Amino acid sequence: MQTATHMLRTGRRGAAFQFQMASRDLVNSLGRLGLSWSLAWHDVASRYRGSVLGPFWITLSMGLMVLGIGFLYASLFHLPLNEFLPYVALGIVFFGVMTGTVNEGCETFVMASGILSQTSLPMFTFVWRTVFRNLINLGHHLVIVVGMLAFYGQWKVANVPLALAGVLLMLLNASWMSLLAAIASARFRDVPQIVISVMQFAIFMTPVFWLPSRFGEHQIFLDLNPFYHLLQAVRAPLLGQSVAGYSYVVLIAMALAGWAVTFVTFANTRRRLVHYL
Amino acid sequence: MTGASITCTDLTIRFPVYGADAKSMKKALARAVAVGGALGRHAGVTDVTALSNVNLKLEAGDRLGLIGHNGSGKTTLLRALSGAYEPDEGSIEIYGRIASLLDLSLGIDPSATGYENIRLRCRIGGLSTKEIDARMEEIAEFTGLGPFLSMPVKTYSAGMQGRLAFAAATAVECDVLLMDEWIAVGDAEFQKLAHKRLLKLVERAGILVLATHEAPLLKLYCNKVMKLEGGVASEIVDIRKVDELLKS
Repeated sequence: MQTATHMLRTGRRGAAFQFQMASRDLVNSLGRLGLSWSLAWHDVASRYRGSVLGPFWITLSMGLMVLGIGFLYASLFHLPLNEFLPYVALGIVFFGVMTGTVNEGCETFVMASGILSQTSLPMFTFVWRTVFRNLINLGHHLVIVVGMLAFYGQWKVANVPLALAGVLLMLLNASWMSLLAAIASARFRDVPQIVISVMQFAIFMTPVFWLPSRFGEHQIFLDLNPFYHLLQAVRAPLLGQSVAGYSYVVLIAMALAGWAVTFVTFANTRRRLVHYL
Repeated sequence: MTGASITCTDLTIRFPVYGADAKSMKKALARAVAVGGALGRHAGVTDVTALSNVNLKLEAGDRLGLIGHNGSGKTTLLRALSGAYEPDEGSIEIYGRIASLLDLSLGIDPSATGYENIRLRCRIGGLSTKEIDARMEEIAEFTGLGPFLSMPVKTYSAGMQGRLAFAAATAVECDVLLMDEWIAVGDAEFQKLAHKRLLKLVERAGILVLATHEAPLLKLYCNKVMKLEGGVASEIVDIRKVDELLKS
């Protein structure tokens, strides 16, 4: 079911051809981002259907979590609230978008199996659907971020353009992880459990709730943690801190390598994906 | 449109069957370890050949009926034509916009309202938001559901759901129409309307491919017929010879 007026499918194989078909899938999906967006909105709307607050539950539940953890940890570690609360808010919100994109990636193709098995819609359309859904969630969380930064006067020091660049880098990385999780989960039903465990572990290993200075001599574990760099690229500029050049090198290298591996995997499994489901 | 066409050349489709076991990573890993990493490409995966060497050539004006027993490959062929399944060998080439009405429940979300479902279904069918806005009134009227369209679809009876899905699915413009069974739904009155609407769609579409078991329907809507048997296709013959084909 498509508006394109020519379709050619062949049994041809070979790396170059598979790569070409995978690229075509990607390009076609970019031509109909509006569909991904509509599907993502529908997902968010239907999740909160019937509730009084609707999608603002996203904002409210996140707000409660931020305040709860903020006050608790600030008093446990004797930290000043005006510094710690914005720090925790940004950490939870942006880390949440990242884990959400990756965790929900596991469902990307499984959920779309009905559509994939009777239309020629590009597979990437459903990858963007997952990414957009999490962007919509982020939009609701931004209320908290902006409110917190405004309340504590952080907006005076915040470097917004640099933070936006950080968000872009985060999305670039989260989206390949999401696609890789989607392919692997379609084939092996154990993968979603593994992904969720890893991401859960990551949230505790990454300075989301705690300050990196607490790590002391174990700094090496931070430098080796890709999620730390992902979070740092967004959070530090908003708090008026600088981001180590090293972090950007890691993020860009990770995006390039990650997409290369993921795209090759996609090109090799694309033909079979619909049968996995 | 300068004329729709479908060309299948030596189309072969095999299904890899990944059993419940094969989906488990443990088995795959265990295999990989057992053979020292040389995991065979098809290890543990059984192939089922659903279509073998199907040749097909249709042009605008052709209305092809597909007949054959359950599991003979009718639906597989339709799915391949819709672009969902990739050929393992041979090729499919289609000119024209394709609409597949294979499964009426496609894209229907029971918790969403009738209106929302119409939007969703039409978006998946390739209409833009603007086009949907322009057609919404006509689609809504056709369903005959009136105020129920603002209620969640899960509150509908099966017949009402059928009406909604049918109206939304047939709102598309297409040159190639693929149908698994003649999807006339609802009560007698609605079926009449549905038949009319489908006929219009078929008239506008250059090509119809319809899989069905019912000979009267074939005679009514198709001008050519093809029989599938275990994934092997017969010659395409004129509809007048359908009885011979059905008997053979």
